[in-house]
Amino acid sequence: MHNEHPIILSSRVRLARNLQDIPFRTRMTPEQADNCIERVLAVLRDETDIYHYYPMRGIKENLRQKMVESHQISPDLFKNDDLGAALVRNDEKVVLMVNEEDHLRIQGFGPGLDLPAAAQAAYETEDALQRKLNFAFDEQWGYLTACPTNTGTGMRASVMLHLPMLALLKQMGKVTQLAAKVGLTIRGIYGEGSEALGHVYQLSNQVTLGRTENEIIEAVTAVAGQIESMEKNCREKAWEKDPLSFEDQLERSMGLMCFARKMAVKEFFVHWSNLRVASAMGKTGVPLSVCDMLLKKAQRAHLLAEAGKELSEKEIDARRSDMLRSTLSIYH
Amino acid sequence: MLCEECNVRPAEVTITTVIGGEKTVRHLCRDCMKKYQNGDISSLMAAILSSMTPRKTENAETDAVCPNCGMHISQFRKSGVLGCAECYQAFKEELRPLFTRIQGRTQHAGRRPPASPEEQERIRKMEELRKKLEDAVQAEEYEMAARFRDELKELQQSKVQEAEPGSAAIKDVQKEEGKDA
Repeated sequence: MHNEHPIILSSRVRLARNLQDIPFRTRMTPEQADNCIERVLAVLRDETDIYHYYPMRGIKENLRQKMVESHQISPDLFKNDDLGAALVRNDEKVVLMVNEEDHLRIQGFGPGLDLPAAAQAAYETEDALQRKLNFAFDEQWGYLTACPTNTGTGMRASVMLHLPMLALLKQMGKVTQLAAKVGLTIRGIYGEGSEALGHVYQLSNQVTLGRTENEIIEAVTAVAGQIESMEKNCREKAWEKDPLSFEDQLERSMGLMCFARKMAVKEFFVHWSNLRVASAMGKTGVPLSVCDMLLKKAQRAHLLAEAGKELSEKEIDARRSDMLRSTLSIYH
Repeated sequence: MLCEECNVRPAEVTITTVIGGEKTVRHLCRDCMKKYQNGDISSLMAAILSSMTPRKTENAETDAVCPNCGMHISQFRKSGVLGCAECYQAFKEELRPLFTRIQGRTQHAGRRPPASPEEQERIRKMEELRKKLEDAVQAEEYEMAARFRDELKELQQSKVQEAEPGSAAIKDVQKEEGKDA
């Protein structure tokens, strides 16, 4: 899967759903929020799939942060530490956020470009819940959500793309326009309002009403494919134009990641981006799956969890380098 | 001209969006433009909504309230977030043009909730009655056919009551939760 899509990291589909008889998050009482969680738990308890339950107020801040870094929960749910909860299916292909902006955000995940698989995973959980719970639905407006930007299908189909060359050649404006023409949008690595660290972008649908789920998925898949070939072209051209400088840049990043003693996260993202380009173009033996694993493991909450104790900023940067050195040592 | 989003700074940028053939023109300052580029669409949506609302001079009575959750339309204009499922009904008039602008369409297409067990049973009974009615007509047993027709009519009308919120499906789950505890 990774070899087929060296530019697309992962696919995700989320469905926004609300219980018919409880007000949306801004108007709900803490008791109603708990009731919402209890009802969801009661349904999923009877399912054959096992779900792990993470109440936001009952788990450590670092674990919540780790879930944000892994894209399992949104920064918004992270902040909602009194009423929110997350449920992670055993295989981690489905994650539910309870009491985020909507009562339920059912998310399905898949590697590379495979939105239909991600959607299927989300539908499985949605079907199980829908058999026993009444979701707010209207014949005209479809599934009713707190924000009218999600009404209808409640679906946000997104793919994560690694676009360093398009960013470097200042083509992202053009890419954004291309997406906007068909009702899609491009955001940073952690969604709305976030930066594109490591040149990782999220492409997703903006329009949720009046299109079927399949239409949405097809539109995002088609544009993701177009952007993928644009990025590929830019990489190949840069390589043809000046292979020495291109390779030099990639090797320098590899060198720093293999030998530096401490590395701040912003610097890591720069070198990680170069390493992933090198891997995608076959210029290094480091597989894409290892690159993507590093993206998670090098982040703050993951390093702290690994250490199992509080660390100073300097110690975190040192731990990051230790992890990079030990992981990459077998490839050089 | 002032920025349509913040109403403080002068508008320097014009954004034209076309969604589903519906054209929207917005005049924004550079700061609000940045918000737009960051995909902060809900604030943009609130701005679109506030630009569509009646002028202050018209009347204060236009501040509609949702009878279920007590949310005022003015609060929705500020936050861009609705209070409950009933708000869709309470603010229907305001929401229709908003959906046309932000979504381009006003009719849902796609997945829908499955029929409840009660609804499934009603549909099954109706099918059965239709068959019986047909057979009775064919057999020229008109008295029986009239009875089936009336029963069918009654079942058809019962759908209106079923569409009310807070139906049996949720109550059943709550009962089950009680058992678990």
